[in-house]
Amino acid sequence: MTAAVLDRAPVVSPRPATRRASLTRLTGLEIRKSLSTRSGRALTVAAAVLPASGAAMIFALGEQPPNAAILLAVLGSLVAMLLLAVGVLATAGEWTHGTVQTTFLTVPQRGRVLTTKYAGMALLGATIATVVVGSTYAVAAIGAGPGFSWQGAGLAAVATVASGAALAVTGAGIGAAVANAPAALTGTYLVLLVGMTILNGVKPNWGRNVDPLAAAFNLIGQDSSTRSVAVLAGWLVVTAVAGAVVTRRRAIS
Amino acid sequence: MITVSGLTKRYGDQTVVDRVSFTLEPGTVTGFLGPNGAGKTTTMRMVTGLVPPSAGEALVDGRRYADLPNPAAVMGTLLDAGAVHPGRTGRTHLRILADTIGVPARRVDEVLELVGIADAARRRIGGYSLGMRQRLGIAGALLADPPVLMFDEPANGLDPEGIRWMRELLRRHAARGGTVLLSSHLLGEVQHTVDRLVVIGAGRVVADGPIAELLAGDGVLVRTLDPVGLAAALRAAGHPVTPGADPAELRVAAATAEQVGTVAARGGHVLTGLRPADRGLEDLFFQLTAA
Repeated sequence: MTAAVLDRAPVVSPRPATRRASLTRLTGLEIRKSLSTRSGRALTVAAAVLPASGAAMIFALGEQPPNAAILLAVLGSLVAMLLLAVGVLATAGEWTHGTVQTTFLTVPQRGRVLTTKYAGMALLGATIATVVVGSTYAVAAIGAGPGFSWQGAGLAAVATVASGAALAVTGAGIGAAVANAPAALTGTYLVLLVGMTILNGVKPNWGRNVDPLAAAFNLIGQDSSTRSVAVLAGWLVVTAVAGAVVTRRRAIS
Repeated sequence: MITVSGLTKRYGDQTVVDRVSFTLEPGTVTGFLGPNGAGKTTTMRMVTGLVPPSAGEALVDGRRYADLPNPAAVMGTLLDAGAVHPGRTGRTHLRILADTIGVPARRVDEVLELVGIADAARRRIGGYSLGMRQRLGIAGALLADPPVLMFDEPANGLDPEGIRWMRELLRRHAARGGTVLLSSHLLGEVQHTVDRLVVIGAGRVVADGPIAELLAGDGVLVRTLDPVGLAAALRAAGHPVTPGADPAELRVAAATAEQVGTVAARGGHVLTGLRPADRGLEDLFFQLTAA
């Protein structure tokens, strides 16, 4: 690195855009950010691949579920936790590593940034869930024996994709509200794995109306669809709004 | 151009930035000096909207930073070189930035070459040294070749060659009509780099002006083979004299070099040095920022 480098005329004139980047471009960049790190890629690949592996194991062990919807509901629970983590890292990860500074220096409108993060996670969650559906059904088509029903498989697939999108956005909202990746992830898992387990044991009526993992399971398994949609939607809205409120007000020091 | 008017930041009862105002003109490099905790970084963060001000405003090219359609194309900023994801490669980090700002991907290779970390571009940032992260941050600020540059402690982690490189980079940017604001604790480096100084102490601007004016002292320093004799002659001529930095040197307040030279010549005193008694930047810094 010498002064001689400065003497060369620039090869390319930067000519940056004179307008704001579009929401579409920013959404794509948010997905790209999530997939640009080893942790993000590992989570995404795990979420996409594990269910099919699980399905193969289920059929190999002879524990065939009665239908495709139940199979997807069981495996969807595995993916749900991973999708929440993908969402959390997309927002809280920026605060933990300090990249939120760069993000808001290039796009200072925080509402815009958060909107594209949520949209990006919805797309990423839906895409991962679609891969889960395709790979799981492929395994089932090969490994399922007689008695396995494909009735409701289409609705279960739609429910899986929708749940995947909702949970990824919920994770992003949690991450934006907590603004610390380890704390957000730990808190999320404690609430969902410990808190909800206790609640479902002590007050099952309350648990049915609050537990998002159970709601996803029921929605995919085509049980209590209306309540399940309401629970998932409630978590999405509350966490997304909380994340937006905190992000707007938080100083970046 | 950057215009800061009455910028204030309060945290509860504590005012950390108190009615800071200054204007940076194109074609200048301005040093933003102050002790730790004086409010430099907070002021810079308020200019960029990262921290909301309690009062006042900061305009970049006549608009609030958040109102600029593509702010990074107007102002390149380096506030914290550590604010990067360690899991990304240097190139990926800059590619994402470039795509957000809307500059061609080829520009990424150009700035990597410019800052001297092209060879490390495909390595994860987690393995970079402090100096490499600093250069990566500078590269990010230069992506859009913006007219305004704002750097907070840009020399951190740079070796002497790197510091010289950065000084030349900033001077050339100003020579092309750009505006530069840089904060630094390296007073010697600031003195060689900047045209103007804004000095902040306890949240308030305590000095703002061309560096030559701020460092201009009162009187002259004279070195002579006969300091005792010359001192007596100068006092007889009505000039207050105090000892200088060493036994052969005298400080003559409120006098010009011509006046001192004339007294010396009349008395036949041999002078070995005669210069204006400019203050050093360090002296100025401590004088202005003393609590």
